[in-house]
Amino acid sequence: MKHMALRLAVPLLLLAGWQLLASGSAQAPRPTTVAEAAIAMLRDGDLLAGLATSLGRVFAGFAIAACVAIPLGIAMGSMPTVERNLDPLVETFRPIAALAILPLVILWLGSGSGAAIAIVAYAAFFPILINTISGVKRIEPSLMRAALTMGLTPLTRMRVVLLPAALPSILVGMRIGLGIAWTAIIAAELAVGAKSGSSGGIGQMMFVFYAYSIDLNGMVVCMIAVGIVAFALDRALRWALAITVPWSRI
Amino acid sequence: MSAPKIRLDCVSKSFGGSVVAVEKLSLDIRDGEFLAIVGPSGCGKTTVLNMLAGLEPLTSGTMTLNGKPIEGPGAERGVMFQDYALFPWRTVRGNVEFGLVYGPAGQGLSPAERTERVERTIEMVGLKGSHEKYPHQLSGGMRQRVALARLMASEPEILLMDEPLAALDAQTRVILQDELLRIWGQDRPATERRTVVFITHAIDEAVFLADRVAVLSSHPGRLKQIIDIDLPRPRGDATRRSGDFARLCQSIWELIREEAYRATMN
Ligand SMILES: Nc1ncnc2c1ncn2[C@@H]1O[C@H](COP(=O)(O)OP(=O)(O)OP(=O)(O)O)[C@@H](O)[C@H]1O
Ligand SMILES: [Mg+2]
Repeated sequence: MKHMALRLAVPLLLLAGWQLLASGSAQAPRPTTVAEAAIAMLRDGDLLAGLATSLGRVFAGFAIAACVAIPLGIAMGSMPTVERNLDPLVETFRPIAALAILPLVILWLGSGSGAAIAIVAYAAFFPILINTISGVKRIEPSLMRAALTMGLTPLTRMRVVLLPAALPSILVGMRIGLGIAWTAIIAAELAVGAKSGSSGGIGQMMFVFYAYSIDLNGMVVCMIAVGIVAFALDRALRWALAITVPWSRI
Repeated sequence: MSAPKIRLDCVSKSFGGSVVAVEKLSLDIRDGEFLAIVGPSGCGKTTVLNMLAGLEPLTSGTMTLNGKPIEGPGAERGVMFQDYALFPWRTVRGNVEFGLVYGPAGQGLSPAERTERVERTIEMVGLKGSHEKYPHQLSGGMRQRVALARLMASEPEILLMDEPLAALDAQTRVILQDELLRIWGQDRPATERRTVVFITHAIDEAVFLADRVAVLSSHPGRLKQIIDIDLPRPRGDATRRSGDFARLCQSIWELIREEAYRATMN
């Protein structure tokens, strides 16, 4: 009980301060006006539809990233030749922010879901890859040796020793990747929001509020919704992690 | 006498050119023999075991098993590692059954037989009721017993054990020494016994268990002497109390005392 009260105190204080500060100006969004806007947006379903579109793209891009990054990371982590050859390529692209490839992606894929998914996949790819590689490399050598002395075939060794040993690290990479993917999708949708033919998503919704209806309350509602979804995603993944790798303290 | 099971001929091992861990070690290990290796810390015992396991290449010399050079690990040589090497993502049961499920050791066993053997082994090392615990939830001694059970469950022809009982309390250690002799086959004729290479720091343990004790000296690791332990079998509590037992312990202690001091002082 006391914990709950304490936890609520900080946000409530912040809200009160915001209300006070903003009451000086007529256009500035205030907690009360934002709440009204939120209720309206929830009622007509726009907010949830926008979130659903964005989330769908995130999951699609994230799945693509994981499907490529995990096998690649295992290959790079366990085979020095593969790593030597691919590492320069990875390290060249890694610092290039997802948004920096946006112009190219739009040229190739247009401004619809395809482009958004590509951006997400690109953004989520690197954290998953890097963490998979390091997970595979950091395997306790004696575990591999134990499996060797028990006569396991290379494929079985990979499946029942290498993969579970690297799993905590892979999952951490996925958690980071998903967070980055969510950030990237909002930015990507904001950026393509102006293009005709672009379709939906919470980011585009924000762009419309900003550029056309100049509805600050709506924008703030979107921002809060983005934050809540990010928080929920992270919590869900942490929970999934605790369930999948109960032996690991991460 | 029959040809040796394992033959080490002038085996040397150095790490990075400078550290000589083992130098010119020649040793025959007989089929069905229980060989104990003692020697001061850092004298190369684990290195010898790793080479026998096929996990470390030799720097020079030859090492053969049944007359054929040892070129890599094989399931007929089971290893218990000094650091246990338990799989942290598998429970006690999952670790003990590992070799049976994924390696050749379990071939020809029905799932029911496998389960039965796993249960029996876990019970033997006194871990009944801890089946579902993960290694990080166990004490050091319990982990060591899981590693022991994992080796035992696979019933390899040759057992390579690196200080397998070092982390145990005195009572458990005595119980598991007896159990180990039973699994090795001390009640069976010599031709039906497994072959055991057993590293230990405890001289009394080496004398109680082994047919022969190889004493290594350190820096570099060399074979100092091999002592035949001609105590009658089967051995048990009476053996531990006998005068011959005490005399053998004493003579080995004198052999390595000087070594131990030298190794500790350096
Ligand atoms: N991978 C390695 N690289 C370099 N030096 C090593 C390596 N492994 C062992 N050594 C060295 O070889 C020597 C023998 O080591 P080893 O582990 O075989 O000793 P040990 O007899 O098993 O000791 P302990 O009783 O403490 O377990 C030591 O001096 C050690 O530092
Ligand atoms: Mg050792």
